[in-house]
Amino acid sequence: MKRDRALLAQGKKPEWDKRVGDKPREKICLALSLVALFLLLGAGTAGAQGPAPSAEYRVFLGMDSRLAVWIVSQLHLMFAAFVLAVPMFALVIELIGWRSKERRFDLLAHEMARLLPPAYSITAILGATLAFLLFTLYPRFMGYLADIFGPTMVIYPLFFLGETFCLYFYYYSWHRLQGNLKWAHLLLGLALNIFGTAVMFIANTWATFMMTPNGVDAAGNLISLNNAIWNLAWMPLNIHRLIANITLGALLAGAYAAYRFLTVERAEERAFYDWMGYTGNLIALFTMLFLPFAGYYFGFELFSFSATYGVTLMGGVLSWLFIIQAIVVAVLFIGAAYYAWLGLLRIPGSEPQRRWTPAFNTILIVGFMIWATPHTMAASIEESTGGFHPVLGALGVMAPKMIAVTLILVVLYASYLLYRRAGRVITVSWKDVGNAIQWGVLALTALAIIALGVYGYFAPSEVRITTSILQIVVLIAGILFTFILDVFLLRGSQAVGVVRWGTMPRRGQYVLIVLSYVIVWLMGLMGYARSAARLNWHVFGILEDTSPGAGLPSLGEVAVIVTIITLIFFLLLAISFAISAFMGRSLVSEVESQTEEEHQ
Amino acid sequence: MRADPARRPRFNLPSPVGAFLILAGAFILLKLIQPVIPGSVILLYMAFVIAGILIHITLDDGRLKRFGDFFIGAEGEGAATRAQRWGLLLVVPLALGWWAYEATRPSYAPPVEIFQRHPTAGEEILGRIKVPEWVATPAKWSPQAIAEGKALYRGNCAVCHGDNLDGEGPAAEGFRYPIRPANFRDSGTIAQLTLPYVYWRLTVGGIQNQFSSAMPAWVAPADAANATTLHTYDLTPDEAWKVIIYLYKTTGFEPRKE
Ligand code: HEC
Ligand code: HEM
Repeated sequence: MKRDRALLAQGKKPEWDKRVGDKPREKICLALSLVALFLLLGAGTAGAQGPAPSAEYRVFLGMDSRLAVWIVSQLHLMFAAFVLAVPMFALVIELIGWRSKERRFDLLAHEMARLLPPAYSITAILGATLAFLLFTLYPRFMGYLADIFGPTMVIYPLFFLGETFCLYFYYYSWHRLQGNLKWAHLLLGLALNIFGTAVMFIANTWATFMMTPNGVDAAGNLISLNNAIWNLAWMPLNIHRLIANITLGALLAGAYAAYRFLTVERAEERAFYDWMGYTGNLIALFTMLFLPFAGYYFGFELFSFSATYGVTLMGGVLSWLFIIQAIVVAVLFIGAAYYAWLGLLRIPGSEPQRRWTPAFNTILIVGFMIWATPHTMAASIEESTGGFHPVLGALGVMAPKMIAVTLILVVLYASYLLYRRAGRVITVSWKDVGNAIQWGVLALTALAIIALGVYGYFAPSEVRITTSILQIVVLIAGILFTFILDVFLLRGSQAVGVVRWGTMPRRGQYVLIVLSYVIVWLMGLMGYARSAARLNWHVFGILEDTSPGAGLPSLGEVAVIVTIITLIFFLLLAISFAISAFMGRSLVSEVESQTEEEHQ
Repeated sequence: MRADPARRPRFNLPSPVGAFLILAGAFILLKLIQPVIPGSVILLYMAFVIAGILIHITLDDGRLKRFGDFFIGAEGEGAATRAQRWGLLLVVPLALGWWAYEATRPSYAPPVEIFQRHPTAGEEILGRIKVPEWVATPAKWSPQAIAEGKALYRGNCAVCHGDNLDGEGPAAEGFRYPIRPANFRDSGTIAQLTLPYVYWRLTVGGIQNQFSSAMPAWVAPADAANATTLHTYDLTPDEAWKVIIYLYKTTGFEPRKE
């Protein structure tokens, strides 16, 4: 570090800085991003002025308007989610690195941030295309939305501009703002995150207003912009998306790390990417714990907004979509847990912990079997029992599913506790008592959750809502208590050996890659669900969709289109990763070669 | 303690055989449940079981190796092991083949139905249904209207939906496919529905439209009061509302508000 500053003082760049900033291709990237930005700003302001209220719908180049908007908006959402999430944990990891003074954290944060500039350009290009498509193809609808949300549509580009500047400065000033100036860099990262979150929240007002319009009279005239913004679904969607976006970003970063793990040749690099994949999966698993509840909260608000949502989501056209969702979510959880358990292999002395995995595995699988049990079944004529099945019907309702999902969370948390003590020897004098209390409390938590669930099963439905909330409270209390205990219990514990980063089996890396595909697909599916729930309305109950594309496609068609969107997303992401690889060799190898040079 | 291989218990099930037994056991168990579980659900459950087994085997390098080694065979292995290997290599492909045959063999059964419990009605359709004032609030339901509703229910609905409103009427068994008459005491039916929706269900029935349930249409659609079908509608709008409040009153549910 000292050497770097000395070099800088002489007007020279330190070794690792040479590759960044000097190359013409760097400038090309920057220029491209700026072009994209202005495109987007142009489209945004054009929209804010509102189009001439001529046609209701237009067709552009003969394409299917609905399909075009569907694909572009979903891709835009996915990229936006990625560039929102990555700075979040880049910042946290950078902060950890700053506090702990461990160089690898800073490297990891930088490595993640490196994915940002190209991805951000693609986000902007997609956003501009989306705005263009929407204003061209749906003039009446967008005119209406602009009437209601005019002011927010003016603020939006400003925040967006703020996000852009912070993002590029955050990345490009990484090396300059080190050492004494680190705090400035961290502040920049914080500003980036605030702007990014604000941008998402603003866009969410439009999306949720379309679902649960508020602040307008029956004819749709604006009464209160404030109420229109604070519509019923806004906060739930903000929360659900914020968390889900972190999961998404973490899993994509994990997949990137897995890919690098599989392709790099040097052991140090492999160790680094192994650790990066582990971190990504850990963040994903942690954030995923909250998603079921955030999702239920969102669904609950929709349900209370209109009976039609209740019918559509739970018994009607979308009921089968939610069964697919349950299965896909199960795959996500199981995959992430598998990777975490497999990670025990790289910890020497973790044999006692590994003994638990068969039991955990069984609970997880059985739990998800219950969770994915459909309430209404697809049955052939011989199998049909009239839509209800006495055994499956008993499992397919709320109470058993809540037991299953909460127990799954207990097991995942217990795995985490085991992971913390894998390969360590606890040294505190009260370790036996402490252990007994800890596992006893965890077992009691599980028992209480089951008892509450069983009670709720036989109780009337109002009581059942209370028992499910109590289950969550018990879960959180159990986790808090045991975690605090754990912190004291592990104080001063000794590691038996160092974690052997880089020794994760290759199958673990493939799991990470599959998981990233699965979450992107899930996101595509749920983006469709959000739109489809409105049925034939642009703005639910206020502005009807009278275009030829108003009907809902079949579920099979949806799956195909979501798959296509997922593939395009990965194609674009691969392009942006390739650009970031083009921008310089892996940072780890830079540092290693730098230290080698120093040794010579 | 397991250091000496000779000391190992003599009966040691190779892990592929164990995996197979678990799979087969789970399958048979699922098949034994009565009334039968639909094939689609069994498939779903079996996928989870397979995932669990795969996870278990691949979580440990030793386990994974032993799993693969079983199929390669080792010197000096017993006849029992060899028999198990060939048994598996025979049974598994045969089972898969049978499954493929079953799945592709022509059959004359109607296609598997994905049934929607509550067909989706547009807001504009439900919006056209005006709830009369004496129906709109439970407090205004008169005992007389409820009594009339009861008589109408007994006469028209009970054969399917049952005297107890539990979907167990004498004719109910006949409507096994794709769906039985609704059990109104279950919180999944009228408890979730609004008055206009329930009324709408009585106007559209089921058998003649895409909802393919056995429920006849009982009352003329709100915007076509003089419409006729093959038979005339059996209930007048007022009568339909009386039956509906009888359903709610008797089950103790309140209609869902908008
Ligand atoms: C021929 C048998 C039959 C008769 C008679 C019958 N129903 Fe039904 N009904 C059904 C079936 C089958 C279903 C379930 C299928 C469905 O939900 O579409 C059903 C469903 C319903 C539903 C919808 C419940 C829901 O959850 O969506 C209502 C309401 C209803 N019936 C009311 C009545 C009333 C009122 C009468 C008498 C006037 C009546 N039914 C007579 C067979 C019948
Ligand atoms: C159980 C665990 C759950 C997981 C892992 C999960 C995951 C996700 C993910 C990754 C997204 C994409 C986020 C985005 O678009 O930014 C999403 C969106 C969504 N989720 Fe969930 N979810 C879960 C539960 C639920 C539940 C129970 C509901 C109930 C209604 C729900 C409703 C939605 C909706 C409507 C969206 C669309 C948001 C959008 O694209 O605008 N989710 N979910």
